[in-house]
Amino acid sequence: MKPHRRKTLGIIIFIAIGLSATVGLIFFALGQNINMFYTPTQVAEGEVETGQSFRIGGMVKEGSVAGEDDSLRIEFVTTDYVSDVPIHYEGILPDLFREGQGIVAEGSMDLAGVFQADRVLAKHDENFMSPEVKAALDAAGATSENHAELSGN
Amino acid sequence: MWLWFSKLGSPKWFYELSGKWLPWLVGAMIISMTVAVVWALLYLPPDYQQGYTSRILVVHVAVAGTSLAFFPLMAVAGTITLVWKMKLADMVAKNAAALGAWFSFITLATGSLWGSVMWGTWWEWTDARLVSMLFQFFLLLGVVSLRSALEDPDKAAKACALLSIVGCINVVIIKYSVEWWNVLHQPSSPLSVNSDSPNGPEFWIATIIMVLAVYLFLSISLILATRNEILQRERRAQWVQELVRNS
Repeated sequence: MKPHRRKTLGIIIFIAIGLSATVGLIFFALGQNINMFYTPTQVAEGEVETGQSFRIGGMVKEGSVAGEDDSLRIEFVTTDYVSDVPIHYEGILPDLFREGQGIVAEGSMDLAGVFQADRVLAKHDENFMSPEVKAALDAAGATSENHAELSGN
Repeated sequence: MWLWFSKLGSPKWFYELSGKWLPWLVGAMIISMTVAVVWALLYLPPDYQQGYTSRILVVHVAVAGTSLAFFPLMAVAGTITLVWKMKLADMVAKNAAALGAWFSFITLATGSLWGSVMWGTWWEWTDARLVSMLFQFFLLLGVVSLRSALEDPDKAAKACALLSIVGCINVVIIKYSVEWWNVLHQPSSPLSVNSDSPNGPEFWIATIIMVLAVYLFLSISLILATRNEILQRERRAQWVQELVRNS
């Protein structure tokens, strides 16, 4: 390789490495701020102040959903299998909402320690399977597809 | 090796060779695209929780995965332009940017449709995957505008090459955003060869064929655009003028 070409290539590699390092440090400094939601454990540890608007992400705890037939009010508990946070919400839920489903809710904690949600979104995992496979896995007791989702984060 | 490398830089050689390849590439693309679309629309099994909506993944995943190839491609072409000053590399890079913007746009559009049904939202500004993809779309539009903003073609080529190399960092961020941070978007699905487990072959074979079809489409579009570019930039060359005279 001719010397002037080697020099140009060297400058390009230097710029690329320098920029990667800069961006890496910026993201390292931003840390938690890029996360879309807090987990119930982070909320239980007091990382969020009462009244502050934020998003919480977790699973809808089995057997915790309680609603009324004549209104859109619903109460349920979100969990990351370590801590639980109760959520109150009034509004339209995504079709995927059900017990055992991942959700992300937007709102704030009230003084009673209940999360008052303005919006509830469904978070689904990366596992696609036909109803037959799902039924077979359930029968075998092997399904834990939603557990893996949160532990990965 | 170096002889082959310098031959590759010759626009005339590329024009003749790509002319021979094009019919084969187009044929392969039509076959794979047809197979993938028919399979996805008629035979892909419904997902146990998302139903038939999950069929959109065949298009979304294929286009999204392919859209990540543009910045690395433009960065390699850009490095060749900056170091070896090969004209052909810049012609490829020039046309890749606009094409990449379209791929990013289709990724955002199909993802938005899917999200509106499954997540209950079209768009979330706080989701790192979504925002980094939107950033790639704007960055590619930026490369296109940078090229047209600079009048001197040599300077434009150099500036675009540098921006393309910088843009590669964002590709890494898009790829790992779902693992590094809490986001709404699901992580990429691990493929399974076992049809009794999640993400079995019945879900991903159609997607793999679609990925092949989309890459072929990308190659064909890029080759056609580059051939146009060659004819335009080399219009004073003897071989181009002979070509025009004989057609």
